[in-house]
Amino acid sequence: MNERCAIVGVGQTHFKKRRDDVSIAGLLREAIDRALADAELTLRDIDAVVIGKAPDAFEGIVMPEIFLADAVGATNKPLLRVHTAGSVGGSTLVVGAHHVITGIHGTVLTVAWEKQSEGNAQWGLAGGRSGGIGAGGAFAPWMRAYIQQSGAPDYIGWMVAVKDRRNAAKNPYAHLKMPDITLEKVKESPMLWDPIRFHESCPSSDGACAAIVTNEEGAKRAPRPPAWIHGLSVRSELGQFPGRNPVRPQAGVECAHDVYRQAGITDPRSQIDMAELYVPFSWYEPMWLEGHDIAGPGEGWKMVDTGETDLGGAFPVNPSGGVLSTNAIGASGMVRFAEAAQQVRGLAGEHQVDGVRTALAQAYGGAAQYFAMGVLRNTPPE
Amino acid sequence: MRTSHERGIAEVTITVESTIKFPYKRSLGPVIGPFMTALAEQRFIAIRSGSRVICPPLEWDPETAAELPRDFVDVGPAGTVCTWSWVSRPTEQHPLDRPFAFALIKLDGADTALTHVVDVESIDQMSTGMRVAPRWRAERLGHITDVEAFVPGEEAITVNGGVPGEPVTMMSYDASITYKIPVSDNTIKAHEATAQGRLVGLKCPVCERIYARDRGFCPIDTVELTDDHEVELPQRGVVTSYTIITPVQYPGQTETEPFSRVMVLIDEIDVVMMYQPLVDVPVEDVRIGMRVAVVWASEAEKADAGRPGNLVGWMPTGEPDNTDPSLANRIM
Ligand SMILES: [Zn+2]
Repeated sequence: MNERCAIVGVGQTHFKKRRDDVSIAGLLREAIDRALADAELTLRDIDAVVIGKAPDAFEGIVMPEIFLADAVGATNKPLLRVHTAGSVGGSTLVVGAHHVITGIHGTVLTVAWEKQSEGNAQWGLAGGRSGGIGAGGAFAPWMRAYIQQSGAPDYIGWMVAVKDRRNAAKNPYAHLKMPDITLEKVKESPMLWDPIRFHESCPSSDGACAAIVTNEEGAKRAPRPPAWIHGLSVRSELGQFPGRNPVRPQAGVECAHDVYRQAGITDPRSQIDMAELYVPFSWYEPMWLEGHDIAGPGEGWKMVDTGETDLGGAFPVNPSGGVLSTNAIGASGMVRFAEAAQQVRGLAGEHQVDGVRTALAQAYGGAAQYFAMGVLRNTPPE
Repeated sequence: MRTSHERGIAEVTITVESTIKFPYKRSLGPVIGPFMTALAEQRFIAIRSGSRVICPPLEWDPETAAELPRDFVDVGPAGTVCTWSWVSRPTEQHPLDRPFAFALIKLDGADTALTHVVDVESIDQMSTGMRVAPRWRAERLGHITDVEAFVPGEEAITVNGGVPGEPVTMMSYDASITYKIPVSDNTIKAHEATAQGRLVGLKCPVCERIYARDRGFCPIDTVELTDDHEVELPQRGVVTSYTIITPVQYPGQTETEPFSRVMVLIDEIDVVMMYQPLVDVPVEDVRIGMRVAVVWASEAEKADAGRPGNLVGWMPTGEPDNTDPSLANRIM
């Protein structure tokens, strides 16, 4: 049984370095209440709830979904928790949508979050040991490999940083808003994990994102345009084995090909109007453009260089400002789907791309080993 | 592949005990914050939810999930034990250092129970329905442990002390966990090899990939790797990629200066050792193609118990750089 499925409500918190004004439950409810208001639904209309977040060590609460159950409206309803590291926000939405697509539930609330100010992600990733290299240190040699292999000039990384921070200035929910950032400022920012500079790295944010997925009936009742799901896929692979190519992980290639096939896409670069890609460090924009076969080998950085991925370009990437501007890790994957949904719904506001009919959402996590991707359109699947 | 479970616990002879801890900071929000503030003032507050009075207070109705109006009401200080469990052997993390009871206590005026501690000398003094009252701590921080324990009776034991000037909005949560990891045969062999100044790996008989000596299995072929698969690795190689880490300061971090981590492709065989330290190489000199060799710990360094294994890192051999551009493709 394959039900048509659409996103009819999205909600984000305002993302900040610290959200000391709310409890963790309050943070989730801020996003949930906005998604419900967008869909003009109440928690009574929700059949099941799916929660996602990254490692429990980030906040030091083991299995937080248990104490959050009543705040997220899951009393006497199915409640699932998803964990696939940084990609979790994306896979949480996919799990929720699968319950609709299979006809098990009519309307599912998905919510993903992180409150990084409660702990320290570097500490969490280091398992409490000294000498932790963090996600930046782990990914840096891979980005260097991409730069070496592709011959991309240094300034490509700076360009992505400038584009995303300027885009974020148009997004009311984004964490870092830097309308005046320049290539010079990025270039002169401190080197954190060579070759990644401070301004080429994501911040640590507190925040949550919610999305309501529903079947065709629910979509017809929706007060605002639905974002129809045309393809969803998750893939994973081992993070480390001899001969692995982490610059272009096979799981990422296969995940992309799977969603393209589901959505009938044969030439992603021309058939997709915009993409929200998980880019926590600037070099990941060209790496994913190539890693998901949107650009050919060594061509991804040229899409950046020519301005093709700018807000006004032919293939805008991360008009929301992306993970580079806002990273509440567990939420970030769902924000990609939520922002892609707002683009096809025509509700993205100041960072709306003109005439979006088909949008791509992507999240990755772990050692670039978990992928969650989706293709959304403003029209239902045939 | 045999799992450690199938092999039986008896075969595990060595374990390593580790403790990890972190001082988390919890933001309390607009309902638990006032509850904690009241504790610092030696009071309990609850929240009204329709006809019910909920303590500790919740931000949302537990049944409908509707946001509750901030209609707080004082409850207690005495209450009734609804049910309880005796802790006969408290650990370091328990609130009392002597046997005690965890109990669900319905404070007078509340319709729901609070989990707390009852301090009595023996289990014989515990009963469901017994009346208890709080013994407040002298130094209160706006934390649930501001109540040291509940004790039998009707009268709260209050301690004079200033109330905090500011509302309590944050809570410290010092998390700590101690656990034991069994040390596998392969890990022991890996340590023995490095102690002898040997670099060894385990070669999968199916795919011929070579793994670290302590890996124990090929995840591609799900084949167990044992002593039979040990191979000696050359102790020289070439840097294929690297990063310079600016250490982020967090509890437990002892690194303060930028340090390098390099990927080393071992000579003659197809193995990359990832994120290896370099010895005595200024970070600005690190480069792809640099020829390096293993540095083993000196006898003095071996005596340093804190060092995991005896491979200190890698040092330049002084040979000319390898300029093969395809090196950048080998980072794993
Ligand atoms: Zn194998």
